[in-house]
Amino acid sequence: MATHKFDVVVVGTGPGGYVAAIRCAQLGLSVATVEDDRPGGVCLNWGCIPTKALLRNAEVVNLLSHAADFGIRVSGFEASYAEAVQRSRRVADRMAKGVEFLFRKNKITLFPGRGTLKAKNVVDVKGTGGVETLEARAVILATGSEPKSLPGVTIDEKAVISSNGAVRGEAAPRSIAVIGAGAVGVEFADVYASYGVQVTLLEALPRVVPVEDEDVSKELARTFARRGITVKTGVKVAAVKPGGPGVVVDLGGEQLEVERVLMAVGRAAKVAGLGLEVAGVQLDRGFVKVSPQMETSAKGIYAIGDMAGAPLLAHKAMAEGVVAAEAIAGKSPRPVDYANVPSCTYCRPQIASIGSTEARAREKGREVSVGRFPFTASGKAVALGETEGFVKVVADKATGEILGVHIIGPEATEIIHEFALGRTLEATLEEIVHTIHAHPTLSEAALEATLAALGQAIHI
Amino acid sequence: MAVTKVVMPKLSDAMESGKIIKWLKKEGDRIQGGDILAEVETDKADVEMEAFGAGVLRKILVPAGSSAPIGTLIGVIAEPGEDITALVTSVPAGAGGAAGSGAQKTPLRPEPAAPPAPAGTASAVPSAPRQAVTAAAASQAPASRPALVGAQASVGAGIGSGQGTPGAGVASAPTTVAGSASAGAPSAPSSGRLKASPLAKKIAAQTGVDLRLIQGSGPGGRIIRRDVEGAGASAAPAAATAVAGAEFEDVPLSQMRAVIARRMPLSKAPVPHFYVSSEVAMDRAWELREQLNALEGQPKISVNDFVIRACALALLKHPGVNASLQGDAIRVYHRAHIGIAVALDDGLITPVLRDCHTKPLAQIAVESRDLAERARNRKLRAPELSGATFSISNLGMFDVAEFSAIINPPEGAILAVGSVRRVPVVDDAGLGVGRRMMLTISCDHRVMDGAMGARFLQDVKRLLEEPLRLLV
Repeated sequence: MATHKFDVVVVGTGPGGYVAAIRCAQLGLSVATVEDDRPGGVCLNWGCIPTKALLRNAEVVNLLSHAADFGIRVSGFEASYAEAVQRSRRVADRMAKGVEFLFRKNKITLFPGRGTLKAKNVVDVKGTGGVETLEARAVILATGSEPKSLPGVTIDEKAVISSNGAVRGEAAPRSIAVIGAGAVGVEFADVYASYGVQVTLLEALPRVVPVEDEDVSKELARTFARRGITVKTGVKVAAVKPGGPGVVVDLGGEQLEVERVLMAVGRAAKVAGLGLEVAGVQLDRGFVKVSPQMETSAKGIYAIGDMAGAPLLAHKAMAEGVVAAEAIAGKSPRPVDYANVPSCTYCRPQIASIGSTEARAREKGREVSVGRFPFTASGKAVALGETEGFVKVVADKATGEILGVHIIGPEATEIIHEFALGRTLEATLEEIVHTIHAHPTLSEAALEATLAALGQAIHI
Repeated sequence: MAVTKVVMPKLSDAMESGKIIKWLKKEGDRIQGGDILAEVETDKADVEMEAFGAGVLRKILVPAGSSAPIGTLIGVIAEPGEDITALVTSVPAGAGGAAGSGAQKTPLRPEPAAPPAPAGTASAVPSAPRQAVTAAAASQAPASRPALVGAQASVGAGIGSGQGTPGAGVASAPTTVAGSASAGAPSAPSSGRLKASPLAKKIAAQTGVDLRLIQGSGPGGRIIRRDVEGAGASAAPAAATAVAGAEFEDVPLSQMRAVIARRMPLSKAPVPHFYVSSEVAMDRAWELREQLNALEGQPKISVNDFVIRACALALLKHPGVNASLQGDAIRVYHRAHIGIAVALDDGLITPVLRDCHTKPLAQIAVESRDLAERARNRKLRAPELSGATFSISNLGMFDVAEFSAIINPPEGAILAVGSVRRVPVVDDAGLGVGRRMMLTISCDHRVMDGAMGARFLQDVKRLLEEPLRLLV
């Protein structure tokens, strides 16, 4: 057992933690990181990145299935799900190694093991080689989150799996019930359905992707139905029991027999066993309470990312990591603007949004003008053969302030940033319209939807 | 791409020029927004000057040890390939022009020197002659400023003076809301273009706000939506009536008040003071303080913290005392930002404890001690030096029985606090020993009258004599 002194100790090396560590190092602070899994956290190893690899496979499979639409006849191709998972592991490994490289480059010391606060400025790391004690001026907690389950349902990662089991399992089931139609649920529904799995998507709320704009939910439900995914909304799961081909999902009357269940009902902050009580770090509804500079109720201890509350998104964690690092370095960083965090879902068609939904904007009493442009009217989308979806712009009628943008369709997750930047700079509809958009691009749909909000759309 | 002009910032209300103590960056250093460029000595304190742009510090125009008026170009930040010769060579003229003229106080586009202000205006604001000049400039030249909307122009010199002066109440208001480090940076340098977001411009056009009168809180002093929305209430002429939740309201002067305001300075210039004193029985407050300070883990609370808390509560109840003369209106503040006079070896400084009315005693104790300590170490930040709505000066530690203080314009009043003395008192039980403290409030007679000050003081006295009220 040895004691090491650093300026900053970062517990957890997910996208929040590793970005915070690197920013601290850039600002001249000595940094240690603590990780009980591989560097990169859930995002790089078990979440964002491997699932994007799987979704890319799903896209390729879909493209091959529709090769005939392009006049290409492919006979007898074979899509191996096991190899898709193996590929996604290789992608994840490569990204995790990238984090290790960045740590070396920035002279950040990695302590493998489980970090626990022993006092406000002391973190014990329990690794395979014993306990190391780290002392720091400031501690950044970034331990992330883990999948939640429904009451009475145990995730055994065999018959009832979470996203953790789903990214690891090399054998696709014949049938699966996905409980929860948020981002995680619809992405796996897409992957499984593309590999021929019979998918039933269950959602307790009245619509799929319930946090998105209602029009987006409708469009996704329609395209999923077209691809043979059974969507059941407004259903309550009463019980999940062994039986049938594997599991029986009791929907309170209807019994659904499937080989496997994917639990995608949300994530909870990983705060147990961290020693938060010792250090006097307070929680608020299960998440760590933080100031705009990401400091917890205990001075000198910061918390970022999923554990610090919604939205549970890697890019929000990274932004918070930078704020925490700069605050520790004595700068006064601009706090994260939570109203301007883009949200992206990578099912097909992709979904991306920022700001208020139309309904929410109206609830807030704003008089809005709405512009919509379907990808069926976009030359680039038609040429790609990807015409599902639309861009929807919600703006303040009087000032043209961009209140919200909701995109479903090809590369939606790339198109959204035009509006993210626009909102940061407080651009209005006019500035988007006065920006010449290259032709032919999918981003032209952003321009046209903006024009439509002004009643000036050209191509529809 | 971008060239950032580094100008001498206005770091306190009264600052007119600053002296560079030392440059913390040298020519050729790479600069990021927020980096500390230099330490600047103002009339009040040594303040760190932040960079508002990124690039390379290409040129230092005012060396360490030299002084420059606010707004003067003192350095240039730009990318290495950028041509800055025009900028650098134009300096002497620009600096000289800005130095002597009142027009530099307008955040943007200096007007030619204004004709003398009309007599009425001048006597209305004798305490701040340079404000009057600015106001005159604004009202004399509306035609040459197409962006100035009609309603704004017709408001006249008085209101214009309040808003046109970056250090006055309005200009510091957005900064307060933002709580940002960009305070002190004019939203546009005196010769630069107006930096405002498209949305801010639209809202300004729709609500009749003149953007040139607003201090931006965005990056590099850019005016953003919240700055305009914050200014809307005060800039619109109709805003004379109170707006719920607004930081202050402008109450039009009555005929009588206008006469008082004009005449009072003639009797005692520049601010007509009057004084009201009252003796406070501090026995119970003393006892309560000892009990509080015996509590483990609680910050030590001083008598002055009790006085701050009592004043904050009383100011909310008597907004007429929490007020300031702004030309032909009285600005009544809805928040108690209290300046706390701190004696220094070579002078005096009054850092501001904001929103005292919302803070419990313990917080006031912690924050006021922190402010005082940093004031003595000259470590105050620029936003902490301006924006007080009322001040307290306590000479109790010097065993001063009573004294009267000079008002710190544009505030309307200041409370002078003497020491708590053990004196013989006569009560129902006969002759005894009691603890007594003298309070003397100095009031601006243009803003308030004797009875108003007396009622306020009566309330402060009551709060201190029934000190449990300070805890609820």
